[in-house]
Amino acid sequence: MNDVITVGMADFKTAVAPILLLTAGLGSCIGICVHDPLLKVGGMAHIMLPTANGSLGGNPAKYADTALELLVRDIMSMGASKSRLRAKMAGGAQMFSFPGKPPVLKIGDRNAEAVEQELKRHGIPLLVADVGGSFGRTIHFNVGTGDLHIRTINHGEKVV
Amino acid sequence: MKITQFQLDALREIGNIGSAHAATALSTLLQRRIDMSVPEVWAVRFEELSAIVGQLDDPQAVIYVKVEGDAPGKAVFFFPVESAEIVVQLLFGTNEPMDLYMGEMAQSALKEVGNILVSSFIMALTQFSGIPLQPSVPALAVDMIGASLDAIFLEEGVLDDTVLFIDTQLTGIPKIEGQFIFLPEEGSLKKLLGAMGV
Repeated sequence: MNDVITVGMADFKTAVAPILLLTAGLGSCIGICVHDPLLKVGGMAHIMLPTANGSLGGNPAKYADTALELLVRDIMSMGASKSRLRAKMAGGAQMFSFPGKPPVLKIGDRNAEAVEQELKRHGIPLLVADVGGSFGRTIHFNVGTGDLHIRTINHGEKVV
Repeated sequence: MKITQFQLDALREIGNIGSAHAATALSTLLQRRIDMSVPEVWAVRFEELSAIVGQLDDPQAVIYVKVEGDAPGKAVFFFPVESAEIVVQLLFGTNEPMDLYMGEMAQSALKEVGNILVSSFIMALTQFSGIPLQPSVPALAVDMIGASLDAIFLEEGVLDDTVLFIDTQLTGIPKIEGQFIFLPEEGSLKKLLGAMGV
């Protein structure tokens, strides 16, 4: 049994293998997982919104841009090399739809786009994006192997 | 906006009146006794939500209604799938297992329950404050509670550092438990409090 560290909403954690990182009940939020496969260290952030733009103060781990900044900084401070970093993400669902009313802002989609963009900016390849749909996800990330385990209630379970 | 103790009491009173109407409506619908907790008013960081709803990936039925009108907000009624199944069985007068995830009948019954609960809450609020409010059609998700709530709270793509909402527990026999929350938009809060002279 591996030890598991839970990442809360608007929170991020780093870990060394064989520890697993867990975040539960992702809806429109996204779990961003980054690791260095050689050093077997990595981290996870549970972001809620695309960008910290315009919001003063507050928790930087809430936003895709600022959270990834912190996550990468902390993983690097553990000795990881930025060029070896790999990323996976899951979440970004659209949980509700109102008949006849197209959602003005699909916040899940916007979150996924923001994460993708920020990863590109950092030059970190995105290996897996399990995003969208209309269901919640609970994810476990193995920082050593990079395996991302995705559990849903009614839409199956997989390791990517 | 800073909330004073006096305003918190006023909000609790709003919750009391609205939730009492909602509990009565549910009780009439199910022909069962439904008890209601004293509503609590929370002003918390969204990140602390798990302290209020428990396990974030616990499967629950969530009925979400937008409150439109002069003091808009969001009303959400959620209950564990076991309770939701009992409610649907009571409505259909059956002991057969119900498919809440895919079954159209069960899902529209749940939406109707939410509709009735929320409408009675809103009617009470309108009578009390004199502010006209209308409920939208209900939307339903039977899924991880954290996933459903984050989607509701983050829908507009903004989130204040603290969210304020009124929270009431409903319990009934046999084994029905649910939670009702009302989230006024920031401007709405001022109007509702203003209408009550606080």
